[in-house]
Amino acid sequence: MQNGTAVSVAGVTKRFDTVTAVDNLSLSVKEGSVYGLLGPNGAGKTTTLRMILRITIPDSGSIHMLGRPQDDSTQDFIGYLPEERGLYPRMKVREVLLFLAGLKGLSDSEARHRVDEWLERLEIATWADRKVIDLSKGMQQKVQFIAAVIHRPPVLILDEPFSGLDPVNATIIKDIMLELRQKGATIILSTHRMEQVEMMCDAICLINKGQSVLEGELAAIKRSYGKNTIRIEYAGDGDFLNQPDLIQSVNHFGAVTEAKLAQGADPQALLKAAVERGIRINHFELIEPPLNDIFIEKVSQAHA
Amino acid sequence: MHKLWLVLKREYLVRVRTKAFILSTILLPAFSIGMFAFQAYMATRVNDHTLRLAILDETGELGDSIAQRLTSKLKNGLPAYQVTKVVSRPSAAEQDAVRGEVEHGSLDAFLSIPDGVLSGEGSAELHARNTAQAGNHDALDDAVNDAVIAQRLHQRGVNVEDVSQLVRGVEVKLMKVSAQGEAEEKGQTFFAALAVAMVLYLTVLIYGVSTMRSVIEEKSTRVIELLVASVRPVYLMLGKIMGVAAVGLTQYLIWGALGVLIAAYGATVASMFGQGASFSGIHLPWDIAIYMTVFFLCGYFLYASLYAAVGAMVSNEQEMQQVQMPVTFLIVAAFFCFNIIMRDPNSPLSVGLSMIPFFSPILMVLRIAMQPPPFWQIGLSIAISVLCTAAVIYFAARIYRVGVLMYGKRPSLVELTRWLRYT
Repeated sequence: MQNGTAVSVAGVTKRFDTVTAVDNLSLSVKEGSVYGLLGPNGAGKTTTLRMILRITIPDSGSIHMLGRPQDDSTQDFIGYLPEERGLYPRMKVREVLLFLAGLKGLSDSEARHRVDEWLERLEIATWADRKVIDLSKGMQQKVQFIAAVIHRPPVLILDEPFSGLDPVNATIIKDIMLELRQKGATIILSTHRMEQVEMMCDAICLINKGQSVLEGELAAIKRSYGKNTIRIEYAGDGDFLNQPDLIQSVNHFGAVTEAKLAQGADPQALLKAAVERGIRINHFELIEPPLNDIFIEKVSQAHA
Repeated sequence: MHKLWLVLKREYLVRVRTKAFILSTILLPAFSIGMFAFQAYMATRVNDHTLRLAILDETGELGDSIAQRLTSKLKNGLPAYQVTKVVSRPSAAEQDAVRGEVEHGSLDAFLSIPDGVLSGEGSAELHARNTAQAGNHDALDDAVNDAVIAQRLHQRGVNVEDVSQLVRGVEVKLMKVSAQGEAEEKGQTFFAALAVAMVLYLTVLIYGVSTMRSVIEEKSTRVIELLVASVRPVYLMLGKIMGVAAVGLTQYLIWGALGVLIAAYGATVASMFGQGASFSGIHLPWDIAIYMTVFFLCGYFLYASLYAAVGAMVSNEQEMQQVQMPVTFLIVAAFFCFNIIMRDPNSPLSVGLSMIPFFSPILMVLRIAMQPPPFWQIGLSIAISVLCTAAVIYFAARIYRVGVLMYGKRPSLVELTRWLRYT
């Protein structure tokens, strides 16, 4: 089944009263890929995810899971980490996980076995019989992640999986995600962190105002923009970047600066200008535009 | 279906393990029994001292006769009255002396019989230091009356023995007619019916509100998002309602078992306090217990669904207070109809009230307990309740499904009707 379609959304529309939250949206997620679902706040990402999860039912259009038309049983194919985390605060960690695993169709004995395994792996085994409310936010997040993966779902939907995690824990979660993908799981990642998308995703869908404005393989999308951006690290006055005929826009990150070249401008001319002004160049690279810029461009185009 | 069972099981286990459940299950009957025992005990305490009494007899003919008739005993076996002296035609000085003895406490009271009582003028007076202690003086009344009447009869030359034989009274006992045969009525039907209806009313209210809080908890902790990604909302709602119902039935069962124990051993225990009869008089017949369970389930599912829908509409406990008002009003309105039903359980008004969908689960049970109505009325009431409950569950589930995912402003009525139409 390699390279089959894990999730296919075809012409889906969802209205709430007068608001059209999702408007004739189509997307297709390849099996075994990491798929980024992007978009500004209120674009319809959550509604799209909820329809894939069968939490809400589309007004029109169809959704297929692993080639099957979506129904109640296809819910069990999905593991879900919602953006708004939450567990029963007064239940014990192990009990919450057993309950949620049971709801995903896991037998009690199998669930018990796997809960202990996962708690051990995420180094919270000593908290198994404590109440959820006694755990730190980071630990609760790990418990919530276990709830998403415990039934070994073929499709994982993770909404901002790293928010609130320290680098050590974020790395642990990231490694598990990659490991699950290695084993064949498909991951749909919804996040505002573009650098994460760039590092992890094979394909993306950018949603704006309920519609898909950009969909496809990330590499192909970036390639289509060409190498029109310069990443530069320098010491000295940044005045040389202020040349409208050469530079269309500048994005300062502190140590690194990214400058988008004007149409038809020669990057060599910029380097020359910098050297003439006695600026010390530590790094100068012609790159494809960062996803961040593509995102902003696509979204602001729609607003113009 | 398996998922519904899991939701039910979680709801049940989480609840019966709480301290609140254990305490309320044990404490409520313990408190009731305690109150009863306390009252029974206090009742015996009131008159456990012999009343030391002087009789000031101005007629000069009645004093000894009254004293002889004061033979009643207290519950603890001591004589109720001890007549320390009888003064015939007392002088003013003698009266003051007796009054002084009462004031100083060497006497508890004195009884003064005016001259005219034999001819029907004036009344006897009991003067006591502690009027509460002397308060229940039926035996004294009887003694004075009997003595006066006997003396009058004697004056007319009538044989007192003959007359007392002739005028011996007949007791009228109140009997309750029912399908099980007849039983003497001492108010137990009235109190049992009221108790049954009150228990029903309170449990439906308490468990309904408890369901609502549970919905709000899942919403405010956001765990609901995970749940609806695994279970259809209608199963989630029904599982929750059934779980809470199972808690209610568990509580009924425990209380029922306690009730059987009390019926079996209570009389023995109660007789220690001298009030054995009251306990054995109240018992719950099986048919009423079954009807009570049927109507509890109807009433509970009806109101719990309404409360679940309310819980889904709001985001926090403050909003809950306002939105739940109409639902609580319905159930309290049923409570206010108790009076009408109890006055005349088979009047057209009572029959009508017990057929109103939101009232019938509670009011029909009250009617059954008071005076079993024709079976067609019970059947009709059950049918109405079941249909109404099914309709309410259907609409509540539609509201619940949308509401649990909505945060922020609570919906207006117009928005609610739109929710009902969402796919």
